[in-house]
Amino acid sequence: MPFKLFDIDKEIPERKKHIYVKDEHNCEIDCNKSTIPGCMTERGCALAGGRGVITGAVKDAIGLVHSPVGCQYYTTGVKRYPSQPQLPNGEIFPIDNFNLKYSFGTDLKEANIVFGGMKKLKEAIIEANKECPFASAIYVNSTCTTGLIGDDVDAICKEMTEKIDKDVVAFNTPGFSGVSQSKGHHITNDAVFDRLVGTKEPPNTTQYDICLIGEYNIDGDLWVIEKYLTEMGLNILSRFSGDASHDELCWMQRSKLNLVRCQRSATYIADLIEEKYGIPYKKVDFFSCEYCSDNLRMLGRHFSLEEESEAVIEKYYGKVKEELEWYKEQLTGKKVYIFSGGPKSWHLSIPLEKELGLDIIAVASQFEHSDGYDKMKARVKEGTTILDDPNSLELEEMILESKPDLILAGIKEKYLSYKYGVPAIQIHSYENGPYIGYEGFLNLAKDIYNNINAPVWKLMEFKTE
Amino acid sequence: MSNFKENNMGGDSLHGKCHDKKFAVINPTRMCQPMGAVQAMMGLKNAMPLIHGSQGCATYMRFQLIRHYREPIEVASTSLSEKTVIYGGELNLLKALKNISEKQNPEIIGVMSTCLTETIGDDVNGMIKKFKDVNIGKNLPAMVSIPTPSYAGSHVEGYDKAVLSLIKHFARKMIPNNKINIILGNLSPSNLAEIKNIMKDLNVEPILLTDASENLDAPLTEETLELHKFGTSLEELRDTANSNATISVTKHNDSGAKYLEKVFGVKSISGSMPIGIKNTDAFIKSISDAMNVSIPKKIIRDRGRLSDVLVDAHAYNYRRKVAIFGDVDMVIAMARFTHEMGMIVEVLCVGTESPRFKKDLNELIDDMNHKPIVLENKDLHDFGMVLESNPVDLIIGNAYGAQIANRFNIPLFRVGFPIFDRIGAQRISFIGYNGGIKFVDAITNTIIDFYYDEEGYKFADKKLSFDTQSFETHI
Repeated sequence: MPFKLFDIDKEIPERKKHIYVKDEHNCEIDCNKSTIPGCMTERGCALAGGRGVITGAVKDAIGLVHSPVGCQYYTTGVKRYPSQPQLPNGEIFPIDNFNLKYSFGTDLKEANIVFGGMKKLKEAIIEANKECPFASAIYVNSTCTTGLIGDDVDAICKEMTEKIDKDVVAFNTPGFSGVSQSKGHHITNDAVFDRLVGTKEPPNTTQYDICLIGEYNIDGDLWVIEKYLTEMGLNILSRFSGDASHDELCWMQRSKLNLVRCQRSATYIADLIEEKYGIPYKKVDFFSCEYCSDNLRMLGRHFSLEEESEAVIEKYYGKVKEELEWYKEQLTGKKVYIFSGGPKSWHLSIPLEKELGLDIIAVASQFEHSDGYDKMKARVKEGTTILDDPNSLELEEMILESKPDLILAGIKEKYLSYKYGVPAIQIHSYENGPYIGYEGFLNLAKDIYNNINAPVWKLMEFKTE
Repeated sequence: MSNFKENNMGGDSLHGKCHDKKFAVINPTRMCQPMGAVQAMMGLKNAMPLIHGSQGCATYMRFQLIRHYREPIEVASTSLSEKTVIYGGELNLLKALKNISEKQNPEIIGVMSTCLTETIGDDVNGMIKKFKDVNIGKNLPAMVSIPTPSYAGSHVEGYDKAVLSLIKHFARKMIPNNKINIILGNLSPSNLAEIKNIMKDLNVEPILLTDASENLDAPLTEETLELHKFGTSLEELRDTANSNATISVTKHNDSGAKYLEKVFGVKSISGSMPIGIKNTDAFIKSISDAMNVSIPKKIIRDRGRLSDVLVDAHAYNYRRKVAIFGDVDMVIAMARFTHEMGMIVEVLCVGTESPRFKKDLNELIDDMNHKPIVLENKDLHDFGMVLESNPVDLIIGNAYGAQIANRFNIPLFRVGFPIFDRIGAQRISFIGYNGGIKFVDAITNTIIDFYYDEEGYKFADKKLSFDTQSFETHI
């Protein structure tokens, strides 16, 4: 049977369609469906997908959560996406990592729930702007409560945009919308497109202008790619949204080519821009040396910068090649699970096998859709377990059943894995990143090798002899 | 203004006017009620917290707890979505209760409501009853409804409500047990362990509400982990009605104690957190009175050791200005302790407002003969703004204080929740005489690291705030 029902899931047989052991039939995996209540899911909400993933990475915008205090608190500084203070107009934004350091909220109380929170939202927008007049825009996220009580956040934001003469953008991301973070990505893509794209013009343009879409600069990932692309002669006109300034989002329509890095959270906006402005996009993958080289070459061909792209590949691949080969020798045959939030499961499966010698025995994603699972299926060998929305109980059962040598997952799963004596690395926010590109892949290899070979794993049992 | 001059720009910001900020919260110092209830649930044996709301609530709270304790932590969710919001969350809650009962089979399920389910008006008690009705004859977990609308109160009230709900649900009058109930609030496992040590020294058997000392500082073993094997048991919760007294070491968590007093005649004593000499003296004395036990020599020796370290450390600490932020009861007790260390309590910041805090504060001011700047119901932005014009040598608070400390180039001594940027949050100690000793050692060494050279002499170029203040200001 290609589908697998875990022992722990025997009372919820509907889980069976979400877990597929790859065979020759290439079965369709059930995905992007509501989670079964109480099954210990690892998924988050639409606010997490919107503010937590996309808008929280913008360096010069005020992120204002329209909610009781909790939603604001929990979305503050939780993701490691650093930013630099340089703005496209040459000015320096007065606060480093403003997006990580500051969160704003309306702190709704009982009376606001009864009588509505719109007045408070207006006042809060005015105050936030007064406190940080240097901010380029204000991004307002609605949440469960404010979605429910029917606060017209769109209308308020429109009114306030005129009043404070600055973009105030509504993101309608009540936590209950959709089945996972994924809905928040979609809502945010649509809002940025509808409200911002096409509203500004870049200071200057070149024939090599590109937008890097779906790259959030986790632990500096974006800066690695940016370095390669800039060195081969491309100009990053806009970033969506790692280390991005608000203005960049407003002139994405002037790009010559859009690159979509995280294809789960950001293909929407690339599609919309292509449809309206006729700008083509390419799905890119810079994880690992091989994918990175392939994609740099592809860009070289597209922009007739073949020599330049080869030079970049030679320069950076050359620096890590030998060391990576050593790691491959050390790591060959180690069994690995990849439990990513979205697409990293299929980004990393082949590179880890081919370039680091690891043996991928399970891949999973919290919120991928069927197109993502198609890629996941295509990129693993038969016998590999593919899971949609895995929960912690299933993870435990898997660990006990086929004790892997390493788990790539998030912080929520990491310590569970440790308790079973299984090394684990954070793949959402990384350990010692960046993990993208050539040097990033080397960082990943180092983290994997050192985690697997930590002396403590041999010291777990008290030996009397 | 230093923050906004970081990059030589922003001189026109209106930061100086932050004190008339009324509507926007910038970097809050408090969390919502369900978080406090989840924290309380962490100290129960064989229990599962279930948040009735969107998935994000459970996931975000787990995330905060896990990165603080660096332990696997489970919080279940009823995973509400659009449809369930329109028709009510009953089906999801029933399914969740069924799944958790069948799969993990805990003894207790605590059901926390959220802003979402409170707003749609879900009757959690009614739903639990329905679940029981359709499962008559089955061996079900005890299911406790904990109403925690996120738009009211804070995590402090959430902890209080969880303990109250648990006591209301379980407490039964049986035979007197000659124990003492202690309601703790969200303390680190090390601090909880110290409370247990004190009880052992006093030869008193406590029922801790709740006891996360083992659960959140667990060894690396290969036991199955989905339910906590340690902590306050269902039997102990039941037995709370038969204790001699209940001591609430955070005054804001005494609703359960008051309930036990009213319904079962168990005396309720609300005291300050046993931090520092005076507060620990009061704590020990109240237990010794309530349980009619004498204070053993060991405790007096521990007290003497704390006095000893206070004297040893005083040269480094005296007149050092300190700013403290966090939960009300911790802040006020910590303020008294730093005063006992010879420091000057310059700024206090709490995210809530309460008459009990004000009363404690007035007592403290009388004892210190000095009035600190007190920010109630304020956020970290307000806190940072006040520090602009009132420089201090040291900040005490959670990890969110790091950027403020960096801005002023002063050290942050980490206590409270969450601490995700350092290791060992579960082992931070300040409770009791022994916790106090560890605390004085650690905080003094932080000061020495920062303000003294390798020979142990004060850096000439690092001016302390009191060097530039007139002596009269604080006397």
